Amino acid sequence: MPLFVAGLSHKNAPVALREQLAVDEDKLRELLLDLQASDVLREVVVLSTCNRVEVYGVAEAPGEARALAFRALCRHRGVDLGTVEPLLYTHLDADAVRHAFRVSSSLDSMMIGEPQILGQVKDAFALAQACEAVGPHLHPLFSHAFNVAKRVRTETEVARHAVSVSFAAVELAKKIFDGLGGRAVLLVGAGKMSELAAKHLVEQGAFPIYVANRTWARAVELARALAGTAVPWDELPTALAAVDIVVTSTGATEPVVTRAAVMRVMHGRRGRPLFFIDIAVPRDVEAGVDGLDDVYRYDIDDLKQVVDANLRERAREAQRAETLVEREVGKFLARQGDAEVIPTIVSLRARLEEIRLGEVKKTLARLPEATPETRAAIDALSSAMVNKILHAPITKLRESSRAGAGRSWLELVHELFGLGRRS
Amino acid sequence: MQPTLINAALIGYVGATGLALAYLVQRHDLVHRLTVLCALAGWAAHTVALILRAVELGAPPLGTLPDAISVGVWGIVLLEVLIEQRTGVRVLGAFVLPVVVVLSLKVTSAPARTLAPALASAWIWIHIALAMVGIAAFVFNFAGAIMYLLQERQLKTKRPGAFYYRLPALQTLDRLTFRTLALGFPFLTTGLVLGALWARVAWGSAFTLDPLAFFSFVAWVIYAGTLAGRAAAGWHGRRAAYFSIIGFAALVVTLGAGLFLPGRHGS
Repeated sequence: MPLFVAGLSHKNAPVALREQLAVDEDKLRELLLDLQASDVLREVVVLSTCNRVEVYGVAEAPGEARALAFRALCRHRGVDLGTVEPLLYTHLDADAVRHAFRVSSSLDSMMIGEPQILGQVKDAFALAQACEAVGPHLHPLFSHAFNVAKRVRTETEVARHAVSVSFAAVELAKKIFDGLGGRAVLLVGAGKMSELAAKHLVEQGAFPIYVANRTWARAVELARALAGTAVPWDELPTALAAVDIVVTSTGATEPVVTRAAVMRVMHGRRGRPLFFIDIAVPRDVEAGVDGLDDVYRYDIDDLKQVVDANLRERAREAQRAETLVEREVGKFLARQGDAEVIPTIVSLRARLEEIRLGEVKKTLARLPEATPETRAAIDALSSAMVNKILHAPITKLRESSRAGAGRSWLELVHELFGLGRRS
Repeated sequence: MQPTLINAALIGYVGATGLALAYLVQRHDLVHRLTVLCALAGWAAHTVALILRAVELGAPPLGTLPDAISVGVWGIVLLEVLIEQRTGVRVLGAFVLPVVVVLSLKVTSAPARTLAPALASAWIWIHIALAMVGIAAFVFNFAGAIMYLLQERQLKTKRPGAFYYRLPALQTLDRLTFRTLALGFPFLTTGLVLGALWARVAWGSAFTLDPLAFFSFVAWVIYAGTLAGRAAAGWHGRRAAYFSIIGFAALVVTLGAGLFLPGRHGS
């Protein structure tokens, strides 16, 4: 029974169309029930996110099933099938398995390694399960896909390095400080971006938080939002001495933190590093502080450069993940292939054994004077013949099904040996 | 049997070094597992070789400098695997194993000998053992310093490369160099003092001109200075790392002098 996936994604379909097609859970349930009732699809899972709409199914005629599914989807969403049809891709069997694995592992995502997709696939699968739309084909496929996704996550670093400026800053801090727990943070200026960076730092255990701003009221407000302390603007130099991480984002045209000011505080710090995250443009921290020991200063361009490096690192890791996925596709197909041919092999053996036993019985009836040795020899002879004859077809069946071409051979064997219709 | 085993150990260490360096470039779980496997295989061969040597000598295999270094290397490899396991700093091997290989090069060819009866005493064994523990600690001190400098460079130049992703935080590395220094120094000091005392008993003078003794004193002064700088003047980070490297260079010269120059430690 062919396995297929058909759909469209961020790779080929414009966002306008994707958002039109996105289906909420209630509608999805309705759709799944409709599709199941049709009898064309044996099993079906519909994945609908803002980046992709995909139908995973098992059907005798995948083309027909795909048309049915998307006709129903377009009807539900009031979209013209004509605009959707040319954008659809379809993958069959091994390609469908690979696609399911890549999507779950976030290798097909717009941002490689993003963590949401696995949850979305799991939800889609759970919903289909609740609608009793998954069976012996899709169930193993998706549970295997979840395992692959987990392995990709833990064994490669596709999801590890930050792809946003604020997270990249947090990672940098982790490469300077031995853990962020208990590191004091000073926010200078009160922009949205610095607030975000501060939140990330707080999530990692940074504490306490100080806020300095030219407008005292704004400092107090932001300090309250972050459970921190407001610091008067002219106490900035003193505050510098006490903190580990400084996030600056003022609108000032002149540097707010000068090299001289930093030099003064570094003396008393006894080697405690000071990390400046300067998100302001124009910059708030004099570039000259780079020359000071234990001072690390990253402005917005530096942070973007780090993000770029992280993206390259992710892409490198994605290569490794692809290899892993490929290996898992092979394993899955081998397992499925075996599962597919085993019933046939069993009935083939049973059929020949039945013939053998019948013939042995007949022969022995005609030889009443045969000694036990002769009887045993006849039995052994017939057994050996059956095994020898079966060896080649069974091997062929296993091999062809592992290679993904088992179906036609299965049909053939059933025809040739009169094994009756396959389920 | 013993030379074969020692050679096998060396091959294991060389293989592990190659793999550890490969792991820096191409971070593959499998490569790391092979590194550990290779190192442990070498270490197992090394263990058997040391036991056989001890049995043959009827004494700890510490009587000659190459033998003592061999025992030191054995301990370093074990520590390297254990520390990697415990701290999760899987790149440590790339910095420690090359040193291991360099230290083991002279070991293989040395004939088995033990101390002259005139020298054999419990003190001398303790002297050698303590010095070896100190050296092992300084190998890790050296590795930590190198890693610190690499990571600091990455962070200062703001161009994250392979080391940025693979090495731990600066503070972690700085603490590693400090702790290994604080651990190694008392061992080295006691080892040297015992050596000097022993020399006085055996030869009548604590400070005879022996190349190894001389250079080890130089190394000791460098390490003492670094430790004092750290404790009193707040030295840390890059400066402390530079001194760790200089101190280790002196230590390597010390061992080289012991191995290749004539003297009381020489062969």
